[in-house]
Amino acid sequence: MKYYLKLGFILFVFCVVATGILAYVNSLTAPVIAQRKATEEIQAREALIPNAKFEEKESDQGLTYFVARDPETTEILGYTFIAADLGYSSTVQTMVGVDKAFKVLGIRIVDQGETPGLGANCTLPAFTEQFSGLAVEDIYVNKDGGVVVALSGATITSRCIANSLREGIIDVQDEPTEGGEQ
Amino acid sequence: MKFIKELTKGLIKENPIFVIVLGMCPTLAVTTSVINALGMGFAATFVLICSNAIISLIKDITPSKIRIPVYVVVIAAFVSVVDMVMAAYVPALHKSLGLFIPLIVVNCIILGRAEAFASKNNVIMSIADGLGMGLGFTLSLSLVATIREIIGAGTWLGMRVTPLTYDPALIAILAPGAFITLGLLMALMNMLKEKK
Repeated sequence: MKYYLKLGFILFVFCVVATGILAYVNSLTAPVIAQRKATEEIQAREALIPNAKFEEKESDQGLTYFVARDPETTEILGYTFIAADLGYSSTVQTMVGVDKAFKVLGIRIVDQGETPGLGANCTLPAFTEQFSGLAVEDIYVNKDGGVVVALSGATITSRCIANSLREGIIDVQDEPTEGGEQ
Repeated sequence: MKFIKELTKGLIKENPIFVIVLGMCPTLAVTTSVINALGMGFAATFVLICSNAIISLIKDITPSKIRIPVYVVVIAAFVSVVDMVMAAYVPALHKSLGLFIPLIVVNCIILGRAEAFASKNNVIMSIADGLGMGLGFTLSLSLVATIREIIGAGTWLGMRVTPLTYDPALIAILAPGAFITLGLLMALMNMLKEKK
């Protein structure tokens, strides 16, 4: 009995030491990582809508989006947000920028874990660039009657990206403070 | 002399993939492209060397009855530390390797070498073993990935190597292609061994 208690105690000591080290390293690195992620997001936003001042807002549906304004005239230049939807094997996250008429300025796949060689090709410019300039009613894959050419062998991934964009844009458009003039 | 022997045995004689058949999960999952295989291989090599060294250091204070849980705790803690430090201070490297870091925790080559080698040998030999096994793992992964990427995508390290008229056989980079390639390579290894 005593022997097993001793074993348990030794294992406990190992776990405590390991947890302590992890907690310490985490406390050192977590702020650095968070800050880096934030900078990356800001850079991605600025690449979509350059020379703008961003203001964070949340829609009624719980979508976090950013209003981009001209820093001098405070005129609305457009909106950016991260659209996310379940694709074939992962949640695909897409950073979207739209202008004030809700036409797509550009998209960038931020995070995805789709099938390599098929769905994972959604990060290629050949796919993402075709969204630029589209109005909300056009953002359907060609199989659903839209103008987005789906990736071959990855209709589900393509559809999920198109649908998440469209829903996100409509969501922002429906916000009482964003639809009309300000 | 012994150092060299421990270092080179992982390459062919005790190759972790084709001979010991450990770490099949990452082997099947990440060999869709050569760059992925190299990333996984080098990340695993690094963790393998360090975990072998740590486990060899603590082998005298670890009661043998609870050695496996202790090794798991040590490896998991170490991998998490590597992951966090990389994410914070070398973000570029973390972007390309980050995906593989959590996979390493469940890579049984690490635990396998801890149990089979590091718990019985001194630190220097354990490091040699880790380095050798890691390189053997990296080479094997790259070999599988080379075959799969060329057949399945027509590229090698992202560069086009097949004529444009070649229509890539997607099956090679999907899951069945992993099993087929691995099986054929193992058969080839065994054939070469029997001939000797």
